[in-house]
Amino acid sequence: MDQHHTHNTGSRDLRMARSMCWHCQSEMSGEYFCERCVKVQPVSKETDYFTCFGLPRRLTIDLKKLEAKFYEMSRAFHPDFYQNKSETEQTISLGNAATLNTAYRTLRDPIQRAEYLLDLEAGSVKDIRTSPPSDLFEEILELQETVEAYRASDRTSETGRRLLTQLVAERQALDQRKQDMEHHLQQICTDWDALQDRGEATSQARTERDRLLKQMREILSNRTYVKNIVNDLAATIG
Amino acid sequence: MAYSDKVVDHFNNPRNMGSFKKDEDGVGTGMVGAPECGDVMKLQIKVQDDMIVDAKFKTFGCGSAIASSSLATEWLKGKTIEEAQKIKNTDIVQELNLPPVKIHCSVLAEDAIKAALADYQKKADKPEAAR
Repeated sequence: MDQHHTHNTGSRDLRMARSMCWHCQSEMSGEYFCERCVKVQPVSKETDYFTCFGLPRRLTIDLKKLEAKFYEMSRAFHPDFYQNKSETEQTISLGNAATLNTAYRTLRDPIQRAEYLLDLEAGSVKDIRTSPPSDLFEEILELQETVEAYRASDRTSETGRRLLTQLVAERQALDQRKQDMEHHLQQICTDWDALQDRGEATSQARTERDRLLKQMREILSNRTYVKNIVNDLAATIG
Repeated sequence: MAYSDKVVDHFNNPRNMGSFKKDEDGVGTGMVGAPECGDVMKLQIKVQDDMIVDAKFKTFGCGSAIASSSLATEWLKGKTIEEAQKIKNTDIVQELNLPPVKIHCSVLAEDAIKAALADYQKKADKPEAAR
């Protein structure tokens, strides 16, 4: 887990290193505009999306505030306002606008937000190995067989109708499960935020941190599996 | 995206689709998933005298994932445990001409092989441990 700390420090160093205006070389004190020459500054690739919007790294976000901040920054970076500026400034504004859009889309959606936080906190999401949920996999593979049997069946026959009824019920159950998973995820997100707010550096807090990240990872993965089969079902039975 | 002829062939005529009973003697089961794309793969081997005599798979996923696991079962049959350990995802990529975005499917197939072999070994070791 130590590597995450070095990772964080690393990105902070990079932010420090670029805190010089590309135009007048003066030290940057403003956030995205140089206070001395008022030139727009590029959003560093190392800046995470939370920091980008001036938000703490928390999973509960006030969407209204996020939207307001996004609009405010969009206006500041909008390429239309840079048409009479230098080519460098045009490029920077375009890059910033694109980064901003991705950042907004990611943070707006609670699932993507959690995936993103997991990426930041635990390195690549794949790094946390969770044991594969065998029961869920068996279920998915079995269900897929039913889906295939239905596809191959004469839909007006009794078998076809029976399979359809079964699939409709399965789909409902899976939808419910997906919702349950999302509720559970929400709970973990709240726990995560509370842990961050307490800001303890004890080994107990670190264990709790790892446990929450692992759970988040597990639910997000399982949700992807369920989502996949639900989509497949939806495509088949409409 | 266009699939190679070999992928299409395996997709349309999957080899060795199905399953064995998990607790059957000499059967090793590998169950793996890719959380990024939601693909699920189950690969089973049946071993007699250190030789893989049969292999089966079930895959829920894209054409490349199905083709990768289908090919894997084809390759596994007739191999010894030791030979099977040597199957690499890159061999699958090469054989099926998988494009870069589908390489993870071959990784999944290799993981499934490894998991099935490990499960078989675990089951085979158990009686010895009891001795």
